[in-house]
Amino acid sequence: MTLDVRLIGLVALVWAVMAVLYATVTMLAHMPGSAMLWGSGAGIFALLAGAVWRAGESPRAK
Amino acid sequence: MTDPFVRRLAALPSADKALLSVFAAVALLALLLGLAFGLATGLARGGFFPGLDDEAGYRLMTLHGVGAFFYWLSFAQIFLLLALTAGYVDGESRIAARPAAWLGAGTAILGFVLSEVGAGFGPPLLYDAPPELAMDPSPAVAAVHAGYLLLAVGLFLAAWAAIATALRSKREGGGEWPTVAFAAVAWAGLLMVSAVAAFTAFLPALLWSLGLAGPPADYSTGWHLLFHNMHYLPLLATVVVWYALVRHLTGVGSAFGATFSKVAFAAYLIFVPPTSLYHMFLEPDLPGAVRTAGSLLSLFIGVPTVLVFLVLVSSLELNARQAGAHGLFGWIGRLPWRHPAMAAIGAAVVNLALGGAFSFVLIQEKLAPLLSDTFMIPGYFHFLTLGTVTLTFLAGFVVALPALTGRDLSAPTWLARLPWLTTFGLAIFGAAGIAASYLGAPRRTLSVAYDGLAPPAWSALMAGVGTGAAIMGAAMIAYVAIVAASLLRRARAGADVPVVDWSGSGAVTAGRAGESSGVYQDALLTERAWVGPLAVLVLLAAMYAFTALTFNLLRALPVVAIGGGGH
Repeated sequence: MTLDVRLIGLVALVWAVMAVLYATVTMLAHMPGSAMLWGSGAGIFALLAGAVWRAGESPRAK
Repeated sequence: MTDPFVRRLAALPSADKALLSVFAAVALLALLLGLAFGLATGLARGGFFPGLDDEAGYRLMTLHGVGAFFYWLSFAQIFLLLALTAGYVDGESRIAARPAAWLGAGTAILGFVLSEVGAGFGPPLLYDAPPELAMDPSPAVAAVHAGYLLLAVGLFLAAWAAIATALRSKREGGGEWPTVAFAAVAWAGLLMVSAVAAFTAFLPALLWSLGLAGPPADYSTGWHLLFHNMHYLPLLATVVVWYALVRHLTGVGSAFGATFSKVAFAAYLIFVPPTSLYHMFLEPDLPGAVRTAGSLLSLFIGVPTVLVFLVLVSSLELNARQAGAHGLFGWIGRLPWRHPAMAAIGAAVVNLALGGAFSFVLIQEKLAPLLSDTFMIPGYFHFLTLGTVTLTFLAGFVVALPALTGRDLSAPTWLARLPWLTTFGLAIFGAAGIAASYLGAPRRTLSVAYDGLAPPAWSALMAGVGTGAAIMGAAMIAYVAIVAASLLRRARAGADVPVVDWSGSGAVTAGRAGESSGVYQDALLTERAWVGPLAVLVLLAAMYAFTALTFNLLRALPVVAIGGGGH
């Protein structure tokens, strides 16, 4: 797994954790919509990490 | 020295060049409109248009924000993102998913037209277009919101085209991306998230303005989530452009290696969600623990920018010393200051230091409620939006556009002077505006006379704001006019624009686009670079000094801030 994939994957992970925190911690409820936005971002970066990994695994890349 | 980035841009197929030229042309048009309306707004705020009615003044302010903040920054980002991605990936030089990018161009341009028409002929909403300001649904208000949504679609599609270009390179060549290509993909990902945030904010507002739904329940929060991303996007874009242009201007790549640089760019994205807490500081019932956590986390907002700044400044200093520079600051004079892009980047760094120092004053939980509705906001953020981001983007334009069009720049000497004139005007604007904010002068209020009841200093300082706005606005309009004229004239060789080449000094040899080889790093280890760390120390000292000054001044005022439910 390349550094590119690992770093983008790490971003997805951090955003997912933040989405969970915003969704579950009552003190953070002052910003409704945050959990959905950071969750959407986590999804976008997870898909991106997957696409980068897949591109690196393609036969022509090897 | 011919930079590979410039060579690859010049080798793009004509269809790709046409696509990029459209984005660049619309970006410059949006900037020109934004600057003209901004100049007029600044003059109105300075009291130089005494007969101007309030509605006309707020319309000017709205059109300034819509053109400069939304559309200039967005179109410029699309142009630079696609250019950097196509110019820095390996393999064939062409943009992948070009139809998606063209569709993105079409939707974003339609959005631009709708927003401008809505802002020009409907109620003056200000650029964040809150429904409560419009009061009633109307087609003009719907046009503004629909325009923003179409822009979001355009951003998403163009970002996808950039990612597809980088992925194609990865599929064909494998391995790691060059640092700039990686950073561009990170930037494209954040653009996509911002497009989602725009839908969250503006879709309920559009449905309301069309009469299809009730007023949005959480418009303000949706706006601030979008705005938080839109703080970050241009700053990330700025340092990516710096990283790419330093290579073009000096031949220097990172002395710290690609891994460190990629971690710094990834840090931008990692810090986006945790640093958003400070937008809640104006909530009166926000728990103390969240305030404390938000204050601490907000300090991280500048960390990635400082990291990339250190990488670039230290790499330049190390290479300059290898090339024979002496003295602590002697290497700075060897930079190619007569090149328009170098001058723009140099001015941008100065403005970033000023804007950055004041932004850290503003995001502290004790000060945010006192300053958020004062002229502190436009006083500091123009150092960032105009002085840093816009000058940096224009630096990217003056390098990329000649490569794409085959037309050299007109009047490069003037293009190298105007960023400093802009900075001079900005310094007057910012100093007068921030001083006025410490005395309580409000933002978004065209006349601060209050029938003679306001402190006399307010009007005098606002005249300074208007004067500064006139200087920086005129300088920037001249800059854009020269760049546009360069592109419209018949192709011919222009004046020679100097760069330097420090990549081949001694044992130093530049590696893959923007990166360094092992030999390169070994040679640099014999040198020392102090200016970058010293600059960061000065920045920290300035932040401390401005914070202390602000506390002392505001303690002397007979006011109590309790917040008001905004962000």
